[in-house]
Amino acid sequence: MMAEPTAVPSPAYAPARRSARAAEARAGFLFVTPWMVALLVFTMLPLIATFVLGFAQYRPGSTPTFVGLDNYEALFADPAFWKATKNTALFALCLVPLKLLLALGLALLLDAGGRSANIYRTIFYLPTLVPVVASSIIFMLLLTPNAGPVNVILQALGISAPDWLKDPRAAFWTLIIMSLWPLGIETLIFLSGLKEIPDEIQDAAKLDTDRPWERFFGITLPLITPMILFNLVIGIISSFQVFVQALVIGDTVGRPGESTLMIMILIYRSAFRYFNIGYAAAIASLLFVGVLVLTLLIFRTARSWVYYEGESR
Amino acid sequence: MKQSFDIGSVMTDRRGFLKGGAAALAATGGRAQAAAQLSVWTPGGSPSYCEVHTKIVNDFIAKAGGGDGTLQCGIGAATEFAQALLASIAGGNPPDVALLWDSPIALGSQGAFVPLDDYMAKSSVINAENWPGALLASCQFKGQTFGLPVAAGTFGMLYNQEMFEAKGIPSDRASFPKTWDELRKLSKEFTKWEDDRLAVAGFMPPREAESMPIWSALNGSQIYDGKNLRYTINSPENIAMFEYFLDWLNEEYKGDINAVDRSGQFRLIYPSADGLPPAFQEGRQAGLESGSWAQGDFYATEPAFQKWNVASYPVGPSGKQPVSGVWPNWFAVPKGSRDLAAAIGYLEYISQYGVVEWYRRNPDLPANLKAADVVPDIVVEKRGEEFAKDATDFFKAQRDIAIPMWDSPVQSFGQDQLTKAIEKIYLKSASVKDALDEAQSLSQAELEKTVK
Repeated sequence: MMAEPTAVPSPAYAPARRSARAAEARAGFLFVTPWMVALLVFTMLPLIATFVLGFAQYRPGSTPTFVGLDNYEALFADPAFWKATKNTALFALCLVPLKLLLALGLALLLDAGGRSANIYRTIFYLPTLVPVVASSIIFMLLLTPNAGPVNVILQALGISAPDWLKDPRAAFWTLIIMSLWPLGIETLIFLSGLKEIPDEIQDAAKLDTDRPWERFFGITLPLITPMILFNLVIGIISSFQVFVQALVIGDTVGRPGESTLMIMILIYRSAFRYFNIGYAAAIASLLFVGVLVLTLLIFRTARSWVYYEGESR
Repeated sequence: MKQSFDIGSVMTDRRGFLKGGAAALAATGGRAQAAAQLSVWTPGGSPSYCEVHTKIVNDFIAKAGGGDGTLQCGIGAATEFAQALLASIAGGNPPDVALLWDSPIALGSQGAFVPLDDYMAKSSVINAENWPGALLASCQFKGQTFGLPVAAGTFGMLYNQEMFEAKGIPSDRASFPKTWDELRKLSKEFTKWEDDRLAVAGFMPPREAESMPIWSALNGSQIYDGKNLRYTINSPENIAMFEYFLDWLNEEYKGDINAVDRSGQFRLIYPSADGLPPAFQEGRQAGLESGSWAQGDFYATEPAFQKWNVASYPVGPSGKQPVSGVWPNWFAVPKGSRDLAAAIGYLEYISQYGVVEWYRRNPDLPANLKAADVVPDIVVEKRGEEFAKDATDFFKAQRDIAIPMWDSPVQSFGQDQLTKAIEKIYLKSASVKDALDEAQSLSQAELEKTVK
């Protein structure tokens, strides 16, 4: 079979085309410039400044002075840092899988929901619009030891209700429960992935097996792996940055018993309660590097488990 | 009409205020100014609090002969407020005056606030001699003054006279327990458990880190020694004090602080974070420590009784005499203030005049000796003029026996370590000694790191 001849532009048109391309490139550059400037000023510069301040003794009102690795040395010797690191890692380890499972379950229900799915989709998304502070306070009222509805119901069922907010063992799980709500964004992302699966593939799968769980694990799950990857990465980043719920429950000391002391709380209190900006910057730098490494590792392993359309294996 | 008013050390007319005020003049090197440009920030944000501060700013501007006065209220509580304030200082656009709920020493000693000593020396209002020494100590570090304790609530023991009388216990101030042992004995008269629920409490073993320096001093010790720049959290007296409190908890409250907390809000006169109403106003608690602010805040939750009173703290086993403490509202001038003259003028005005209006409506006690005597409106309305005057006199007298507090350059850090230690002690997750040793070692290390 002969190859199709490639169209070769005539020399007379070439400068005009080059000029059009240059104009297009200029326009494109102009369009992205505001975004690039904002990225540089509001994201990149603070990021760089954070890394630089991590090597400085800097308290408000004074000039930053270079102290080398002093902040990092102090950090590694600080019991609060290790407590917060342990709490945060455990929090991420528990929260992210739970959130993925629940969001996927909800998305599957919504996908099978027929005409009423749109209503439920809106209902599940609405909590996302509630400010985290407000939802955290509502949870605290729901979980009040004696008069809170949750414990009243549990007691009526003969279940011994825990001290949700005052027992250090229970408070950590309370934080996880509070952070599981809402699930709107994750659910919508999964739902969009489920909607993208072509009907022909599902129909073909039905011919192969009539067991729904086989179709789910054989067809559905592999085809939504890009959404799982996205939710996983976003989930890990956001769980390492848990802040508002932890602050509402445990204040800056992580009460009860430092069970809600998270890395972000440590950064916040170091900077704005103890006024030690350099130290806070060192913790923030470590958090950034930690989350970055974790994210890169996930992307590296993703090659073996994420399926992209058109990709051959 | 030309109005005259006394501001600072000279009598001046409205127009001449900023030009003529001695301290204001000194602040600007004699710079004449036509109108004040003043911005004031306050934390908090209850409507009545913002209202009274707006009025004070407006009154100041009016008396200064016009100008532009703005008040930012409701920025958040102490830490959120500090966040906004630091950003404004770093951005070069701070307010001219900031009201603080945390001591100004930590930020002032780092250079974030203008030292006020020179201006104070030239003023007849904010001069050092017009402030009780223990109060001014909360603003001073290494010989410099970084703020003024304009309104300083003093602490005392608040109690329900009706509960006392119902049990035939004398309810006058003079009969209130003078020692911890007496207080503990009295407390048991009231405390009643219904299975695992604390139905009624007498007095609770103390556990607020903010007032712990007072309890420590009542037992002959201290939490922080400002003169020698040294924390003393784990002093033998403090260890004995917490052992005493723990013993009290075990004897009267089943040794279970969580059972107490599940039963109601027995810590403060405010609803708890999880929505429980204050047991004191419910008539389920005989008494608790509080401060002059309680005169107004008591009525914020509809009380089940009317007759309350205040008394001095009882003395601990190792203590010698009653002491009290303060919880001030400090004012500071951030570095970068656009109108230093107006800022100093405002400090003079609020210390002498504004604070009087403030106390009338929100009972935070005036600290400056030049401030006129006045009583809170709400106490007059609820209990009559005589009782209101007696309560105010009591709180003013506490200033004279107040110990230095809030004077550490790592105040918040030390307080957080103490909070953590107290929690561990009451939850029994660490021994008293271990908990206090840890708090001591971390606080002292942070202090040394900061002041080196």
